[in-house]
Amino acid sequence: MTIEAATPLLTTWATDTAQPEPGRLDAVVPRENLLAAVQSLIDARWGYLAAITGLDQGVEAGMFEVLYHFCSEAVVVTLRVPVPRDDARVPSVYAIIPSVSFYERELMEMFGIEVEGTPNSDRLFLPDDWPAGVYPLRKDFEMKDAGADHAS
Amino acid sequence: MQVPIMPAKGEKFIIPIGPQHPALKEPGHFEFSVDGEVVTGASLRLGYVHRGIEKGTEGRNWVQTLYLLERICGICSHVHATAYCLGVERLAGVEAPPRAQAIRSLVAELERIHSHLLWLGVAAHEAGFDMLFMHSWRDREIVMNLLEGLTGNRVNYSANVLGGVKCDIDARQTDAILAGLEHLEDRTRHYLTVVTSDVMFLRRTRGIGVMTKDVAEKLGVVGPTARASGVARDVRLNAPYAAYDRYPVELITATAGDLEARFIVRVQELFETYRVIRAILADLPEGELTVRMPRRIKEGETISRVEAPRGELFYFIKSNGSDTAERVKVRTPTLPNMASVLTLAVGHQLADMPMILAGIDPCFSCNDRMIVVRDPAGRGAHWTWDDLREYGIEYYR
Repeated sequence: MTIEAATPLLTTWATDTAQPEPGRLDAVVPRENLLAAVQSLIDARWGYLAAITGLDQGVEAGMFEVLYHFCSEAVVVTLRVPVPRDDARVPSVYAIIPSVSFYERELMEMFGIEVEGTPNSDRLFLPDDWPAGVYPLRKDFEMKDAGADHAS
Repeated sequence: MQVPIMPAKGEKFIIPIGPQHPALKEPGHFEFSVDGEVVTGASLRLGYVHRGIEKGTEGRNWVQTLYLLERICGICSHVHATAYCLGVERLAGVEAPPRAQAIRSLVAELERIHSHLLWLGVAAHEAGFDMLFMHSWRDREIVMNLLEGLTGNRVNYSANVLGGVKCDIDARQTDAILAGLEHLEDRTRHYLTVVTSDVMFLRRTRGIGVMTKDVAEKLGVVGPTARASGVARDVRLNAPYAAYDRYPVELITATAGDLEARFIVRVQELFETYRVIRAILADLPEGELTVRMPRRIKEGETISRVEAPRGELFYFIKSNGSDTAERVKVRTPTLPNMASVLTLAVGHQLADMPMILAGIDPCFSCNDRMIVVRDPAGRGAHWTWDDLREYGIEYYR
C-alpha cells in the first residue's frame, strides 16, 4: 500500500502531516482521535502496527510524543500523538489490535505514560523490585533513582 | 481470535515456566493455565536479560553505540549493526560504497545460514530428535568458520563501521565460501527431506500451531513465521536495503501455516540464501570499503528496517545534531512473533508448547524451571523446561 492510499484515511483525524523521507508519512494525531485513526487504517487493511516508540522532549518542553509506526511493504506511516508530561496518558488500541499488549506494557513502564484500558499493565521488561514511579527512558531519569540494587 | 491474556487466577491450574535457562540463549517466564491437558490461557514476562541498551545509547557517541547495539543479540548481531549503520548514514546524508553494501548483504546471508541451522537444531531437540540436532549443529560449524575467516569473529562479527565495512574479501575467502556452500547445500537438501518425511517428526509438526493468513496479518507477525502462513512479508524484497536491489531475493512462502510449514520455509530459505551469496561473490563491485562519516550527525529522524533471520527488525533513530543519539528505539522480531505464541497456545495440548515456542525461533530459548502449582494428576511439584520437553516427547511416543 502507498502513502497516497494512507493520506485520505487520516485527513479527518490528523492535524498535520509531513513526509520527512521518501516512503514515510508522519501524521500528528491528537490523542482523542488516535483510536479513530488506527481504526481507519485497520479497516482499510493498510499495513500492520510494527512498533510504538516513546519520545521524551524533556522537562522544559513538558511533552512526550508517542509514535505508532504502521508498515506496509516499503512505506511507514507514523501517527504522532503529543502527550503532556503532566497528563501522561493515551488510550489503548488493544480493542483494535490485540497483539499490541507487549508494546503498551513497554511504553507504560519505560515512560510512565498510562495506557488507558489496556488489559494487562504488568511489567514486561523491568525487574519486580524496580521502584514505583521511576521511568528509565524519561530524559530526567537518573540512575540513583533506581535504588542501590540497580545502580551498579 | 483468542485474547492472549490470562483469566483471573484461581479458576484454572496455572503452570509457570521459567525464567532461568543458563544453557540456551536467553530466559523468559511463561504462565500457562490448563484445563486437563489443554492450554486455556498464556501470559509472558520478559526482561530477565534486559540490559537497558536503549537508555545506554543516550550516553554514548554514535560510534560507541554501534558496538553496543551489535551486542543486543549474539545470534543476529550483524543485522542490528546493519540497521543502525544504514539509518545513521541516511541521517548524515552519506552512502556507503557499493562494495561495502555487497559485503553487508554477504555477511547478513552467512549469518542467516548460521541462525537457521542453529534454530533447526534447537527445534529438533525440543521434539526429541537429537540426531537432527547434532547434525545441523555440526554443519553450522562450517558457516561459523567462514564468518570467522571473513571477519575475525565467530559472533559479534563487527563487520560494519559507520560509513561502510571493515573487512574485505579476497579470492581465497571466496573459494572457501563457495566450497562451504556446496557442502551445506547438499546437507540442506537432506534436512528438507527429513522434516517433510520423518513420520515421528511430522507427528510433532504437521497440523500443529496452525496460524491462518488472516490471523498472521492481524497479529503483525514477521519473518519466516509470517511467510509460513502465506504472508508475503520480507524486508529484503519489500524495501531493499544494503545490496538487495542489486542481488534480489526471491520470496519463499508456504500456505499451511502449521509448524511443518515453518520448518519448510526456513529450510527452503537456505537455498535462496546460498544462491544470493553466490550471486554476490560472482559480481562483487570494485571500490572503496568506507566513506568518511561526520562525528556529529545532522538533526533528524529516520526509520531503518532490515530482515533479520527471525523477521523484520525495526530501528527508529533520532538525532539532535550532536555526537550522541537523542533516541534509538529497537523493535526486534521476536516481540510481535511472541504475541502469536500466546494466541496459538490456547486450545493446544500442554505437550505441544515446546514446539510451538520453538516454531517462531524465539530469540530467547528460555525456561528452565517449571513449577506445577496445582497438578490434577498429583505429579511432582517442580518441573524443569527439560521435564516439559520430556513430557512432550513421551506424550507423542
